[in-house]
Amino acid sequence: MTPTTTAARDRDPQAPDSRPPLPVKLVIAGGFGVGKTTTVGSISEISPLTTEAAITEVAAGVDDLTHTPRKTTTTVAMDFGCITIDPTLKLYLFGTPGQERFGFMWDDIVEGAIGGLVIVDTRRLDDCYAAVDYFEHKRIPFVVAANAFDGRIEHDLTEVRWALDIADQVPLITFDARERGSVRDALLSVLELALRRAES
Amino acid sequence: MTAGDGPVGEDALPDRSSAEPVGRAPAVRPFLVTAGRVAGTGTGPPMPLETQVVATAPGIEKLDRLTFERRDIVALCRQPQSLAEVAARLRLHLNVVRVLAQDLESTGDLAVYVPRPEAAHDLSVLRRVIDGLRAIPDSRETTP
Repeated sequence: MTPTTTAARDRDPQAPDSRPPLPVKLVIAGGFGVGKTTTVGSISEISPLTTEAAITEVAAGVDDLTHTPRKTTTTVAMDFGCITIDPTLKLYLFGTPGQERFGFMWDDIVEGAIGGLVIVDTRRLDDCYAAVDYFEHKRIPFVVAANAFDGRIEHDLTEVRWALDIADQVPLITFDARERGSVRDALLSVLELALRRAES
Repeated sequence: MTAGDGPVGEDALPDRSSAEPVGRAPAVRPFLVTAGRVAGTGTGPPMPLETQVVATAPGIEKLDRLTFERRDIVALCRQPQSLAEVAARLRLHLNVVRVLAQDLESTGDLAVYVPRPEAAHDLSVLRRVIDGLRAIPDSRETTP
């Protein structure tokens, strides 16, 4: 599985050691201030970088009498980091921008992703609905992870699952965004889900 | 990162270790930089954020003859980078980087490696990522 180059194919002057790794990515989603950047920073080998990505906003349907979603493209800040798996494989972690009452389309970020980690703050569950809906709609494997702020979860996971109305097959875990090992295990749960999905 | 910046050499590049995290990209004349072109309007979807770019030997050779953002990109890409990293480190809008990377590829100064989307479902890739993640210790202070 080597990356394909679109034009440099026939005149590749690259020394073997400058051949880039195959990049794969996970998407870290969730509401504003839920711990996405903390999660990325806990495990990334670089301090989280920020770049601007284009997203398509779909206005929430409540006020929309035309039933045609009004889409506008907006530029938003997006944090990301990476983990070198080996010299030929690199895992990128892209955080989705936070959102309020808009449903966002993160296609620019999500296209080709292995899966998603939807972080929830159990004190503000409704902040993550957009992310859950998005991954369900795109049929991208995702895990819902309750971030244990101050080491505590406000509600038990059964309540969280009920409140979010997520399907039984969607894994629901708790983790601590500040702990590297905890973030690692959360990412592993996404990878293992994606692997099971790919095997079936 | 304006046209008035002095010569940009290796030492003028953002430092990998200390300059992070960078702030938001300034809203500078992105359309001027790309001569009005935007990414993703040509054939096919825009290149993914994680697309890898690396300077070619001819690109490095003619670094002094490249201008402004193009030179910055080629100089930064002595080491392979993702488009997202290039955008963040040079504080350029992602879509500007997409356009310029394609320009630089067409002139042979940059090699662009667009990942195949099937990689996300490739069993061996997924297993390698899993093994790699499992090898990550609980904390960063590891002196085995």
